[in-house]
Order: sequence, then structure tokens, then C-alpha cells
Amino acid sequence: MNVYVLGLALHPPSPDERRFRLEELAYHTARAALDSAGVTRRQLDSLTLGACDELDGRPISSMLMSAPAGGYNVDEIKVTDSGATAMCLAYARFAAGDTDLGLVVSWCKSSKADVEAVMTSRAEPFFTRPIGIGGMVSDALFAQAVGGEFDIGPAEATRRVVAAYARAAGNPRGMAHSVPTAEDVDRSSMDATPLRAGHRAPLTDGAVALVLASERFVERNAGARPLARVAGIGWATDSYRLGAQRLRSMQSARTAWRDALRRAGVEDATVLDVIELESPTGYHEAAYVRALGIQREDVISPSGGAFAQNPLFCTGLVNAAEAVLQVAGQAGPVQRPLVRRAAAHGCHGFAQQGNVVMVFDTPGALQ
Amino acid sequence: MIQTVAVLGTFETDFKTHHPEHTFAEQAQIAAAGALHDAGMSPDDIDAIVFSLAPTHFMGVADADRWSIDYIFGAGKPMMRVHTGGATGGSAVQAAYNLVRSGLHRSVLIVGAERISETPDAQHVLNLIFDVFYERDMPLSTNTTVGLLATRYLHRYGFTQEDMARVVVRARGNAMRNPHAHLKGHITIDDVMASRVISYPLKLFDICPRSSGSAAMIIGNMEMAKRFRTRPAFINGVASQSTTYWIGDRLTPTSDADFVDFDIAAAAARECFRQAGITDPLKQIQATEFYDPYSVMTPIQLERLGFCGPGLAYRLEREGYWNTSGGAVAVNPSGGTLCTNPIAITGLVRAIDAANQVMGTAGSMQVPGVTNAVSTAVGGLMQFINCTVFGADAATH
Repeated sequence: MNVYVLGLALHPPSPDERRFRLEELAYHTARAALDSAGVTRRQLDSLTLGACDELDGRPISSMLMSAPAGGYNVDEIKVTDSGATAMCLAYARFAAGDTDLGLVVSWCKSSKADVEAVMTSRAEPFFTRPIGIGGMVSDALFAQAVGGEFDIGPAEATRRVVAAYARAAGNPRGMAHSVPTAEDVDRSSMDATPLRAGHRAPLTDGAVALVLASERFVERNAGARPLARVAGIGWATDSYRLGAQRLRSMQSARTAWRDALRRAGVEDATVLDVIELESPTGYHEAAYVRALGIQREDVISPSGGAFAQNPLFCTGLVNAAEAVLQVAGQAGPVQRPLVRRAAAHGCHGFAQQGNVVMVFDTPGALQ
Repeated sequence: MIQTVAVLGTFETDFKTHHPEHTFAEQAQIAAAGALHDAGMSPDDIDAIVFSLAPTHFMGVADADRWSIDYIFGAGKPMMRVHTGGATGGSAVQAAYNLVRSGLHRSVLIVGAERISETPDAQHVLNLIFDVFYERDMPLSTNTTVGLLATRYLHRYGFTQEDMARVVVRARGNAMRNPHAHLKGHITIDDVMASRVISYPLKLFDICPRSSGSAAMIIGNMEMAKRFRTRPAFINGVASQSTTYWIGDRLTPTSDADFVDFDIAAAAARECFRQAGITDPLKQIQATEFYDPYSVMTPIQLERLGFCGPGLAYRLEREGYWNTSGGAVAVNPSGGTLCTNPIAITGLVRAIDAANQVMGTAGSMQVPGVTNAVSTAVGGLMQFINCTVFGADAATH
């Protein structure tokens, strides 16, 4: 059964969203997505949330958050890996024929959480936590490992960061960070070898919502105009151990990529017009490009990816929204020409332990 | 292509307050290995994993699911963690069901563990689920909120604390036949009445224990069922419902879902039973496994799921209607959540106990002739509920 994206919304990113409480952030984003799709909350029959108690600052955060996000008198469920993982489950729910119209919603107020403390609390208490491994250190371990595996050096990482900021500067849905020079990046503080502060995408606050519809719903509602079809989806999670082999292999990224492309009927990256990668550093982008066999630089993250906005938990789902906009021809100043098929990627966990890949294409005969 | 979904294997550990002999990840491994053994499967036969884990604040490792991945033979596989509070275990079954039914995966391992007693007092964590500005200072807690619910229910239908106690007596008695149950014993109504008051009218025995342990279930499509299970239980209906966070908004005359009436349970059951072809639950379902951490939640679910009319469940309890032997339907032959509540996996344990009844593998808890069984899971102060029907034959919805 085909699954379509009927509408979406991205909350304007902010380094520190003070206008809205967390539930207001979710409400306004879900509301805007419903308006974008031309449907009402009462038509919804499912809600799939991607949220993290620890980042939200309360146990069972969906108790507070589900209704503002559309979860009132509907079938609601939450996954805690990432916003992109919520998209995987939502897709399965639609493909199983159990829902016709639903929201996928995710959010993150990075500014309200001590992110490094949350990452440290993710470490198991016997070996990882006592040596102080958190998000930054595990990212650096990843950068070291893939640097050795793929011959990625600081010059390439810096080049990719500057290019990402430059692309992000044109994205009206981004932070409009100033574009640093290579010298700015190379002179920034060394946070954890080999990562300098300038290599890392700044965290932001944000929220994203997508309205999904079944083929049945689209056929029965003549006014429904899908933005894109979800052509394929894949996800996988690697070992928890931060050994060199696990970090170098990027196995879960490769598996997620392979499964998503296979389900989309796509052989390789050459037929993808846009690939929105979640690359928290320049090293990550360089590694993903190589591991996933992406040959063309011009298809990579026209939105600027995490350097446009980086609401940690939902950056991957933001990428999905950007990819859908590209397929729909609605990406604005960062629109690439003639986009028929776009992929979005998200990652999560220590040193990108988990990876998600989503492929979107034009709705075809339905348009 | 839409797939039929079957239960291929189950496992649960014994439940108790502490499991100091194992780490969390080892507990998860014990459950995963147990379910694989029960199904006669190897780790390579599993395509994907759904991890059942509610608030990690109880045990203090925020990525406990990902820490466990190597232990549950999942490294490199698709995995996701589901968390809907107390409803988590049932939601995990629902998510796994979606992954198989959609054709994305042939087989999915649902696994989880709970060690709630790592925290000195789980109530301190649970108190934080209430709204900071309006409800937390009242003070609402899980016990005081359900105390208010019980008061309202008893008043509305004219029942007494002894009626609540009768549910506990039956549950503890049923648990005597459950080798995994945390609390069990032949107790009397007087014993329940004599236990100390926690939040009027709830006394200690009206409330579930804080249990630790682990559990796993493996489900798969028909191809996998033919390979690995002679007599599977089919997942014939799955539905969830959610309502407002605000308790006050469930108490007004104009509320969509009255707190005591628990209307979302009726809505979830309607959809679940529709899928499963259940038109008369009392006649078609022989065993239930309800999420009932309080003795007042058993009658409410019996009524809302259509086993009897509103306000009748306690009266029928007096007449033995819900007894495992000689009753109209065996209500919680395992002893239910009143006897065992490992929050992260309680919904999964309920599903396992219901599926085992259909597969004829419930051991000393087995109820004869079970062709349909229903399990529920409830989360977020009755804000979320899910409902699953297991059948001996596959439904065709």
C-alpha cells in the first residue's frame, strides 16, 4: 500500500526558543502541518511521536505532549530513538493498512537540556560512564575511526563545513548562521581530537510535523494533493561498543541505506536527485558520502542540513521534511531543479549507533 | 502485501523486587534467549527488534535499550524503542505487529526488562509525570489519583471497599498457579481490609507491587509460523486510544472521555474487536489479561470492554463470574498486574500470558478451551490504552 506525505511544517529554528513552551512548540507545528495538508485534527486516526524524556526533562513526556501534537482520541504511539525513527514506525502503520491519516511529530529544545549530561546518562554505568564518554567524545571517536578508514583529514572536514554553512545561508527555514571561513574553522578550539568547535553543527531548538495519508485516503479525497510518496525506508542499529571495527564499518548506515533503496526500487545513489544527510560534523558528511557511495557532491544536503538547523533529536526528521519539499518543488531558494526522487538520512545514539534512511519520490499517477 | 501475524515464542522471568545477580542488559538477554528457545529459532531468524522500555529514570541509564543490543543479538539489525508509559509493553506489541503486518519484516523480537527498584522510591519519579503548574501540587500522584477515581466509582455504583478487596483475593489466588508472579497467596477480604491505607479508599493490597524482571515475545508472518510454531496464537486485533493529559478535563459534564467511565477503553476495544471479528466478548473470549495495577481497574475494564454493563462487574465478582474455574470468563488467570507490575514490560507480560492461553502453553495457569484471549495495557494515568486480541485462528480483517 502506498503511503503519501500530504503536508508538513517546520517550526522556525532558534538557538533558544523562548516564545513558546515545549507543548506550544508541538501544537503550533502540528497545527501548521494540518493546515498545510488541508485536513483537520478530527480527521486524524493516528499519531506517531518521536521524543526523548531525558531531553524533554520529564518522565513519560508524551503525557503532556501528545494532545498538543494531535493525539486526542486517536491511536497514539511514541518511539524514543529519534524523530526519523518515528517516521519508520509511522510508515509501517500505514503500510499495514491500520491507519488512513496520521501525524508524525518530533521536537527538541536543546537549549533547555544539558545535552552532554543527557548523553552521559545514556552511558552504561560500568565501563563507558566512568571514563566520561558523552556525545562530543563519541563523535570524535567516530571522526578518528572514519578518518583512518576513508583517509579523511581536517582539511576536507573544514571544506565540507564551510560549504554546508554556505548552502544553509540560502535556506529560509534555517538559522542563517554567518558563513565561516576555513581559517575560522581551523582556528576554533580543539574540543576532542580531531573535532574543533567549528567542525560541529550548533544545536538549535525546533520541531517538525508531517501529515501522512494512505493510498485509500488519497483516492477517497479528491482534494488531497500529496507532496510526495514515501518510496522506501530503512533503519538499523549498530553495536553499543565503541570499538574501532564498529566505528569504521558504519554497518547500520549501510544497512539502512541498502534497505531503503531496495524498497524504493532504486539501485544506488546515482538516481537520487537530492540526499539530505544528517552530518553533525564535516567528518561525518565525508564518511557518509563514502560509505553510501554518493558520487555527486551537488546532491548533498541543499538545505545545509544540521548547519541550517540542528534540533538534535529531530534533525533527521527535519531532513525528511526538506527532502519532501524538494520533491514537491517547494524548497524555495534551495530548490534543486527537476527533483523526482530525494533521500533523507537521520542518525542517533553514541557515535551514530543508529541510522535511518527515507526515500521520497513524486506521487506519480496521482498528480 | 498485508500479512497475517502470529506469535511464535514467549518467555518471562520470575518477577521480584530486585535482581541483583544480573545487569539490565543481562536481564534482557535472558528474555531474548528464552523466547528464541521457546520458538526454536536462532538469532539469525529474527529480522528486527522492538524494545519495550518505559521511563529510564527508574534505573538510571537513558540508553538502556541500546546498551542491550549486543546482548539481545541485535547489533546491525533494525531496532526501535517504544515508550508510552504503563502502556509501553502493549504498544511494543502493536509496533512489532505493524512491522510484520506491513510486510517490512518476517519476524520481530519484542523484548524488555525492568529494574524499577534501582530507584529508592519509584513514586518520586512517578510524581514528576504530573503537570508542573496546575496538578502536581494538589498533590496528585498515581495513588492519590486512582484513590479519587475509586471513590467516584464506588459512590456512583454503590459498591464498597470489600468489593474492591474481593478482586485482590481472586487475583492473589490465581497467582498461586503462576510461577512467575511477584505477589501471590490465599488471602481473605479481611486481610485486604486490614492492610494499611495508602490513599483512601486504596489500601496496600489494592495496589500492585513494584516488580523487576524481563520478558520477550517473537512474532512473525505465516511463513515463519509454518516453520516455527505448530500451534501459534494469531494477533487478530490491535488498537490504541489516547485522551487528554488533564485529569480535571476528564471530570467535567462536557468532557469527551469521563475519567471514571474510561471511554477510551471502550473505543479501543470496539476497534480491536472489529478487527478480530469479536461481536460478543463474553461469549467469544475465554480469558483476559487486563492491565490492572489497582483493584478498581479490573471492573472498569470488564465493563468498558463489554464483558458486562456499567456498574455490574463487582456484583458479578461476588457471584464468581470472573473466576478461572467455573466463571463466565477467566479474568487474569496469571493474577494480573495486581500481583506483578514491571512497568516497562507489564503490557508485554499481559500479552504473553494471553497468547500463551491461546497456544495452550500457560502451564498451571492454563484455562481449558481458550480460542480467544484479550490483553490490555494502560499508561499515563489512564490517558493511553491499547488492546490486543489473540486467536487460535487467523482473522481476515
